[in-house]
Amino acid sequence: MLAFDLTKFGALFTGYTELRVQENRTVSIGFLQGNNTSNVKSANSGVSARVYQNGSWGFACSPELNEDSFRSVIYAASNNAAFLDQKQKKQKSSLPSVPVQAEHDFATKKPRLTQKQLIEFVKQVDQYIAEKYPDLVSRYVGLNCLDMEKLLYTSDGSYSYSLHPRSILYVSLTVERDGKPIELYDVFGSRGQFEDVFSDPAELYPKIDQLYEHLRHKQQGVYAEPGIKDCILDAELGGILAHEAIGHTTEADLVMSGSIAAKYMNQEVASPLVTLVDFAHTALGETCPIPLYVDDEGTQAEDAVIIDKGVLKSYLHNKESAQHYQVKPTGNARAWSFSDEPLIRMRNTAILPGTDKLEDMISSIDDGYYLIRPNNGQADTTSEFMFGVILGYEIKNGKLGRAILDTTISGIAFDVLKTVTMVSEDMHWSVSGMCGKKQPMPVGMGGPAIKCKVNIGGR
Amino acid sequence: MTERVILSYALEQLQNKGIEHASGSVSKGTTYEMNVEANKMTLIRTVFNNSLSLYVIKDNKSGSISVNKLDKEAIDKAITDIIEIAESSEPDPAHAIAEYQPAAQFSVGPAEPDMDLMYQRLEQFLTTVREQFPKIMLENVYFKFNHNTRFIANTNGVDYTVSKGIYSFTSMFSGHDGDKSSSFNYTGFSTQDINQELLAFGSQKYLLEQSSNQIDTQSLSGKFVGDVIVTPDCLGDFLGYLFDITIFDGALISGTSVYKDSLGKQVADPRLVVHSWPVSSEIADGYFLTGDGYRAENCTIIDHGVLKTFLLSLYGANKTGLARGVNNGGCYVIEPGTKSLEEIIGHVKRGILLARYSGGSPSQNGDFSGVAKNSYYIEDGKIQYPISETMISGNLVEMLQNITEISKERVNFGWGIYPWIGFSNLTISGK
Repeated sequence: MLAFDLTKFGALFTGYTELRVQENRTVSIGFLQGNNTSNVKSANSGVSARVYQNGSWGFACSPELNEDSFRSVIYAASNNAAFLDQKQKKQKSSLPSVPVQAEHDFATKKPRLTQKQLIEFVKQVDQYIAEKYPDLVSRYVGLNCLDMEKLLYTSDGSYSYSLHPRSILYVSLTVERDGKPIELYDVFGSRGQFEDVFSDPAELYPKIDQLYEHLRHKQQGVYAEPGIKDCILDAELGGILAHEAIGHTTEADLVMSGSIAAKYMNQEVASPLVTLVDFAHTALGETCPIPLYVDDEGTQAEDAVIIDKGVLKSYLHNKESAQHYQVKPTGNARAWSFSDEPLIRMRNTAILPGTDKLEDMISSIDDGYYLIRPNNGQADTTSEFMFGVILGYEIKNGKLGRAILDTTISGIAFDVLKTVTMVSEDMHWSVSGMCGKKQPMPVGMGGPAIKCKVNIGGR
Repeated sequence: MTERVILSYALEQLQNKGIEHASGSVSKGTTYEMNVEANKMTLIRTVFNNSLSLYVIKDNKSGSISVNKLDKEAIDKAITDIIEIAESSEPDPAHAIAEYQPAAQFSVGPAEPDMDLMYQRLEQFLTTVREQFPKIMLENVYFKFNHNTRFIANTNGVDYTVSKGIYSFTSMFSGHDGDKSSSFNYTGFSTQDINQELLAFGSQKYLLEQSSNQIDTQSLSGKFVGDVIVTPDCLGDFLGYLFDITIFDGALISGTSVYKDSLGKQVADPRLVVHSWPVSSEIADGYFLTGDGYRAENCTIIDHGVLKTFLLSLYGANKTGLARGVNNGGCYVIEPGTKSLEEIIGHVKRGILLARYSGGSPSQNGDFSGVAKNSYYIEDGKIQYPISETMISGNLVEMLQNITEISKERVNFGWGIYPWIGFSNLTISGK
């Protein structure tokens, strides 16, 4: 556990300052075709300081964790801020301040497993697949565990300790069709250290069997017919839509850079069936995949209701953007590593569940697609988005038809959300969201299934 | 202890503890970075970091560890941990470390940045963009100088030192006119000196001008099969996607590579020549060593359409029985063609000029589909208008066989040199 008294360096602060000690620890174990191809541990830690001076920022960091190092990063960050302030002369006022003291430790209380035990777990999953499905041409099973541990002290009096772990197991299966590979993967796991997330490999076997069944269907799959279609985006796709296409567009730093959301505040941007929230730590009574209580500027994290019944209501803020828009910071400032400055990032972004049943949604479509699993996504500041889809089925006359081969869907998010006519009553979080915006960042994405019109690629 | 002594100490300790084969590296680096948000300079960063990486093989079992502490206590803990990690793994006789090579030192680029010049160049860039491209919003710009010294050694006597200083620049921008805006686009470059203005590097000017003119777009209707001219920025993405699923360890060990039986065979149009040149004077941001600890060499991956090499690691080579690659890929250089971009556009009956591809990761068989961003519709040899909400789909493997032309103009990004290439028979679909 990180144990430093950061308050004693407060006397060195020359303006608004964040002093953060952080360690990221990872374990990565992989089996490719039964070969233990990856067996890696890493630990990356250090101290950083970020200083604000009249609208200009300075940052410095060091991997050394001793008093000299703490002093030198504060000094270097202050110098960087002063240099830029002298050149830029922005003369901005001080940042909003809502100090908070908090400790949130999600470490397991169970005895920690050894690397050998972790390898044995992954190996058992791999052996199950190898023995049960000998017709696969390739298989990969990979375990990735991440602990992010942070200690933060800010000049306006916030003090926070947190440990956020995540453990995920990735399973990829490949068959052949006409000598060419057809692949499908799934990801299992959740918030928490391995011991709190996984217990018995056999618990994963029904999910792997389901993955194989989908792959068999995909092996016989067809290319989607390109064009605008009625589609049901299942929870994972709804989640990535909420994150990529709406969430990013409403990050206040991107709004200030010209995101299309700048002109939509308090306007109808979606069907009244759509309420979209970036949850801080708790959603519908449950702890979120990435429970953030205090952000890396020392702000108490609060839910940001981005779209309320179809109307755009909020952006995502750090202290500086909140100052600009004269609102309260939402606690969205997050940094990936000790060597990174906090940026406006999402936490757990989801559309809220509705009242429809998935089977009714499927039966309401004559000619369309049921799209289940994305592989990646990207969105524009115009809210035009695209998501790769690796698992989906045709819907013909209200019934599921043939599986489809890998495709991509796209659209203008604020237009697509206006076409939402049904929202399922269930809620599902994806476990492995990793967002890229200068720095990587674990995020939660989720929601119900939604029925809407999107452009689907194909042949 | 100095970094070199730390590495020697770590390898010696590992051998004393009965480890037969080990390799490692120790590095120290500093990054200076200037950030721009919404057209304004916002942040200056100074980043110091270290790293100690160790790779150990014991009884054919292997493991790796990476930490960023270089004090004795941390090093001793890393040594204890890596032995436990390796002993935990499954044995595999394919694990190996590089054999002895003569010691060498490599050095490139400045050891320190010229911070005043960096600031001046960035100010000049912001001013010039504001004046020459008034519709452009620079959403983010990151201008960095990084210097890193790395010591690499193994228990077979490998002993290298690499010292590298490099400036790198990334910009993300969009065009705006009142409430209307273009899609964002981005580009970047690396260079060992900043003796010329930043706007002169890479494809900055070309893309800023495009984004200024892409504010009013039209969407295509229906679908057709046509030509796609891929820009240098976008071409790097396509080449990277294709090589990832065909010529590296993962695809060849798993047997999913569609090129697995194609070595020495024609896989592309005979006009296509693709090199990987990590140690070329034309590449500012190359590398001297492979990840396994061999001196990197330049190679030609596709020579007049023929696949000449895979880029397997030592492990991948041992696992597949194929030759080890002489480098780790990247630093791709594509030989120029004979036609100008204007001539290539002039021969397109119906198609698009693709400046950014936003799509799903291609399938292992090369199938891809995605959105044509920052792109133009071409008809009867002329660029007609910028487009939006338009998708393209095809197959990467087939694309290389369906090249229409390669431009004589190329862009050097510092990490690769790419022309414009025209491809036929791609599906283009609008709303």
